[in-house]
Amino acid sequence: MSARLSPGEVRVFAQYRGDFREDEADVAVVGSGPGGAVVAKELAEAGKRVVLLEEGPPLTPQDYEWDGARSMTRTLREAGLRVTRGYVMPTMQAICLGGGSLVNSAICPRAPDFTLERWCTEFELAHTTLAELKPHYASVEEFLGIAPTPENVQGARNLLFKRGCDALGYSSEPIPRNVRGCRGSGECFTGCRSRAKQSMDISYVPAALRAGARVLTSVQVQQVVSEGNRAHAVVGQVVAPFTGHRSHRFEVRAKVIVLAAGCMATPVLLQRSGNLANRSGQVGENLQFHPGVAIQGIFPERTDPQFGATQGYQSLHFLRQGFKLETLWAPPGVLAVRTPGFGQALKNRLAEIPYSATWDAISSCHRSLGTVRARRRTLDPVLHWQLDEHDLPILQHALWTLAEIFFAAGARKILPAVRGVADELHSLEQAEPLRSKGLRPRDLVCGGNHVFSTARMHGDPRRGVVDEYGKCHDLENLWIADTSVFPQSPSVNPMLTCMALAHRTAHAVAERV
Amino acid sequence: MMRGMSLLALVLVAASGYALSRIFLGYPRPPSRLVSLSRAELAVVDAAAETLFPAGGPIPWSGRDAGTAAFVDAYVAAVPRNLRILMRMLFLLVEHATVLFPAPGGLLGGGMRRFSALSFEQRVAALGGWERSTLFARRLVFTSLRAILTMGYLSSPAVLRVLGLAPREIPTPICEADLLYPRVGTLPSTIALRAKDLTPPSDGTPLGPTGPVRADYAERVQA
Repeated sequence: MSARLSPGEVRVFAQYRGDFREDEADVAVVGSGPGGAVVAKELAEAGKRVVLLEEGPPLTPQDYEWDGARSMTRTLREAGLRVTRGYVMPTMQAICLGGGSLVNSAICPRAPDFTLERWCTEFELAHTTLAELKPHYASVEEFLGIAPTPENVQGARNLLFKRGCDALGYSSEPIPRNVRGCRGSGECFTGCRSRAKQSMDISYVPAALRAGARVLTSVQVQQVVSEGNRAHAVVGQVVAPFTGHRSHRFEVRAKVIVLAAGCMATPVLLQRSGNLANRSGQVGENLQFHPGVAIQGIFPERTDPQFGATQGYQSLHFLRQGFKLETLWAPPGVLAVRTPGFGQALKNRLAEIPYSATWDAISSCHRSLGTVRARRRTLDPVLHWQLDEHDLPILQHALWTLAEIFFAAGARKILPAVRGVADELHSLEQAEPLRSKGLRPRDLVCGGNHVFSTARMHGDPRRGVVDEYGKCHDLENLWIADTSVFPQSPSVNPMLTCMALAHRTAHAVAERV
Repeated sequence: MMRGMSLLALVLVAASGYALSRIFLGYPRPPSRLVSLSRAELAVVDAAAETLFPAGGPIPWSGRDAGTAAFVDAYVAAVPRNLRILMRMLFLLVEHATVLFPAPGGLLGGGMRRFSALSFEQRVAALGGWERSTLFARRLVFTSLRAILTMGYLSSPAVLRVLGLAPREIPTPICEADLLYPRVGTLPSTIALRAKDLTPPSDGTPLGPTGPVRADYAERVQA
């Protein structure tokens, strides 16, 4: 039966009564995260008939779980417990309206000039310089109110980072974020109860709806249907929120299809669609992360770390050396899984959380590559990835630098969570092994932050999946608008660059439909 | 020859009987109905929680007081099936690995009993063996177990209150999105809010430790 979607309508799980079909769309957008939501809004405002499809449900503040573990079972695929094979590293993918923007900490820096220049040079791109992307960045920044985190909601843990950087002469600055009226609740990762974070579900998606877009939630796109060099439709099934149980089938036919399912799902979708758009052989290849390391520091005075912007301060001082430093807070139960020891020793360390700060580094490890492959009977991917030994010194440098900043800020001890190094280090001298010890990849506890490049853009169709506007080289009407198109790491947090590229993609699509 | 075969059969039957009784028998009835764990799994989780988080010290609550096992029971039910199986295997591995890695006391001193049947001191030694092992896979088992139980321990309102980490009351402004999406599992017709109900957005007043604790984490809530 026909879906009979009205302009501006959101359909939720409880409304599906049987199989359905929608065949009058100009554009079907798969995924409502930062890429898909921007595309949907821009195209709807351009007068196109847009259907936005999202596998997860919309979450209201009443659906949020403050507890980190419970929240992850609701908002993240595989309950947030997805890990890479090869080098075992946790990584996450959201499953809710708004995608990762609902459960990230709203960090929105532009990619640096030198990174975009490298993209242009190494990947034969002509129009992806900072100057070319500037209007797209500016449009997104204005719409979301992106601005540096104000001082009054930084909280002690963020300002101590600034103090340490200042003492060492390292540059640092408040993190630019897509928030309005942040109260420093530190709840970015479990859903912002203050409604301050401008996640896609409360910003771009409502704007798309106002412009007439139709939004289908709890629908899992399983295949792109194509013939020759044209895609015709997406097909899939309705899935129940949180349990993932599949039921009714659907088909959405459209003149143009934009995949924005995320860097780990978009290549799987292409692979399950008959290895679509893959004459280059690059679909699912070049998987890159920002591997992250973190150190917890304990200060003499209370820091009350749960108060203050989740991630309020950063240092770009070492960006050209391959890492970026940030402050961090997360739900206590999640943050504490790295705490060493057990018994009273573990409890004593947990009791020091009110005196603690956790700071992290994300690294651009260009040599550490992996693959994404489809797994049988599910859209959850198999991720193979290895931490290249030549990238290890970047992480080690980052750890040492974090130790320096902690002690410069007045920490009385740090917990580096590095195997082969003492659980607690009480001075920079004691921390020396972080600089000089020959570490192995398995000695580190890394987190797989941000994901890129599994359907990368390249000027040469033989070496990339899409052109620099996001159009697949192999098909006339299939586009991609998520971080899988990044040719490499953007050196900084990717959300704003993803949205800027999606903004450009939307306008390129609008010209062709 | 026949006598040898009979002896072998007897040994096999005895070994099977021991294995089955070790795996299935002698576990206490759980205090409340379990969502996902078996009695055996609950026993090992509870014993591990008591060992990882013993009573006393700056946080008075033990892992048992904090209801860690009940949290794990609900948590395991909420994760996807393949992970649920892995977690249950993890618990059973810890429970029965004392056969391969005996706790102090060895066979005669009861060091090869099930993990949940060991004395507190023996459990401390057994977990210490996993934590300090030179085998990556053994350390991974320990860190996985500790991670799950730590999430459970720090989900306890009482523990969070002691640490000053319990969430604060935050008035949630009503925005356009609240007029668009119903609560998960309900129909759009259940959205009672209208445009007139919209409230001003957050004014950015910083939150702090003096604010009231959220009702479901407040003092009256049990550990």
